[in-house]
Amino acid sequence: MNKVKSFFNKLIKKDGTKTALTSLWCALLGLILGFFILLMINPSEATYGMSSVLGNYLVFTDPADKLNYFGQTLAKTAPLIAMSLSILVSYKAGLFNLGASGQYSVAVLVISFLGVGLNLPWWLVIILAMVAGALYSMISGALKAFFNVNEVISGIMLNWIALYLVNGILSGNPLVWDNAHSEAFVIESGNNAYIPQIGFDKLFAGNDIVGLGMILILVIAIIIFFLFKKTTIGYELKATGLNKDAADYAGMNKVKNILIATAISGALAGLAASLNMQNGFTSWKLSSVPPDIGFLGISSAFLGGLHPLGVIFSSYFIVHITEGGSMITDLGFSPEVASIMTSVIIYLSGFVFFVKEILRRYDLKDELTRLSRDKEETA
Amino acid sequence: MIIVLSTISFLLAYVATLTITALGGMFSEKSGTLALSLEGCMTFGAFASGITMYLLPSSIPDPISALIVILVALVSAGLYSLLLAVACITFKANQTLVGTALNILSTALAVVMVKQATKTEALPVGMSRLNYTRFYEIFNVNLFGLQGVRVNWLILIVLVLIPIVYIVIYKTRYGLRLTSCGENPSAADSLGINVNKTRYVGVLLSGVFAGLGGLLLITMNAEWEFANGASGFGFLALAVLIFGQWKPLYIFLGAFVFSLFKTLSVVYPSIDFLANLGISSYFYLALPYIVCLIVLVFTSKKNVGPKTVGEVYEKGKR
Repeated sequence: MNKVKSFFNKLIKKDGTKTALTSLWCALLGLILGFFILLMINPSEATYGMSSVLGNYLVFTDPADKLNYFGQTLAKTAPLIAMSLSILVSYKAGLFNLGASGQYSVAVLVISFLGVGLNLPWWLVIILAMVAGALYSMISGALKAFFNVNEVISGIMLNWIALYLVNGILSGNPLVWDNAHSEAFVIESGNNAYIPQIGFDKLFAGNDIVGLGMILILVIAIIIFFLFKKTTIGYELKATGLNKDAADYAGMNKVKNILIATAISGALAGLAASLNMQNGFTSWKLSSVPPDIGFLGISSAFLGGLHPLGVIFSSYFIVHITEGGSMITDLGFSPEVASIMTSVIIYLSGFVFFVKEILRRYDLKDELTRLSRDKEETA
Repeated sequence: MIIVLSTISFLLAYVATLTITALGGMFSEKSGTLALSLEGCMTFGAFASGITMYLLPSSIPDPISALIVILVALVSAGLYSLLLAVACITFKANQTLVGTALNILSTALAVVMVKQATKTEALPVGMSRLNYTRFYEIFNVNLFGLQGVRVNWLILIVLVLIPIVYIVIYKTRYGLRLTSCGENPSAADSLGINVNKTRYVGVLLSGVFAGLGGLLLITMNAEWEFANGASGFGFLALAVLIFGQWKPLYIFLGAFVFSLFKTLSVVYPSIDFLANLGISSYFYLALPYIVCLIVLVFTSKKNVGPKTVGEVYEKGKR
């Protein structure tokens, strides 16, 4: 019995547990606030609306439907994991990648031309999309490294530039533009650029967008985990992020590290575009604001406690409620209710560090009382 | 002639919108808090005043309803900015993160609420648009009796505010205290200035100003699609702030430069010389941002901004 107790005590004192607990609190509070908003809009349907948001695919009665939509939720989680990793890598290196939307957009441009236009194999398209994202992100990195331009501002500007660039080049181009639907052509399952399903379609009741991408992103999350845990590059990036002057003094090349961090971060944003577009699910649509996946990535990165494996769960959670949110339109709610919830969650995750600080102080107090008691006993 | 005059009217409205929002951001950043949420505050002020314009009965006399709308814009955006202040000043949260959250939240709230308010109208699916033609006519007056040329009189308020802001920042005790809290909070603290309180006021002012900017932005037209938030004007204002090196007069000049390019993207089809070049309209749309990026390259090296922007102030930290 005592062993179990001490195990739990140890578990609670671990940093990771604290992060997970505080993230859960944020998520819970965000959901509660979302529920209040639903209550304000339509009190009689609010409970049912909330259960659809939370239930997502579980609201279906047919088990095949359940499986199918579960597969869809998983398939949509993959790009968000990539996006969160993008934010996470730059954040660990002391940079804030607010330009992820722009990197995503530029990658979409590459995917559309190479995937739809030239019909290149899927793996090549993924690699080139990642290269495009990396190069675009390195504009921000180079401006930061050589001209001291704040990467947050340049990232935002590059988002808008990319938006208009992609809108301008894709729209109306007969090679890639589907005039009938006024969007870019979708990469269908017959296409070379379509990421193989390797049997997942059979597992998820014939869902046709879930596939290898899901495995790929899990592998990459693990690689990023080891990058920071075991490699020199990861160590240098982290050191630069913690104290760039100290890292510089210790002989770590600041310029090199900024460029590496922005390149990896941009490549992951490009990968997000691949995972979103190369499965027959969606394509580029004309829009007057940058794609919001870049900002969603920020929320799941922070909700996941800025841990490469933690973001897998937080991304799933966010996609789960967003998908659930898209189901409640018939009840007179707009799907943006889910985006209210996620933004409240990001807002609250700003408090994570504060809550952790309190928990730490609590630990310290605990420790001190124990020490003083021990002292009394020995005396 | 009418085209030229309406172009100038557009230009002035853009200048005023960017100036007022960037000036607000200046209060926040000079006190040491990153003004990333300008876009969100603009959107929130625009949404709150927009919905007021949509719902106010026309039985209320025009001057009073105009006053109500302005007050709603200022107060709502001010309150919204307090969310930033509480998180970042009191609870020491990451300012970029919270700013981003507030930007997304305001657009999401605006879309949900606007859709709810316009439920009875048969709008196309996914639209969250408000129409307020009556207020467009109240805020935009016919200048010199010329038909077809309307000028937004809110621009006048901005013009009056510019010298006032200048005097407050440079000539008053409050302005100097505000600056000291951003430059060296520990020193300010040691002289008995309440750093957190000063920063709260800075953030609050940024919200109020951005609220006016939001109202100006949406009253340039008779309707607004809220899914676009403030169309990136808050971010442009942030760039203007940096370009203007946190100085009121430079900010005004910066706003003027960006507005020129922004206006160009609207009016270029009616200028024969530019329309004949055959350049994609998207290029003109991207132009303000490209110019902004290039300008940032030349102005960022010196690092003249408030020293502690974006940093958490810990009492007793060395």
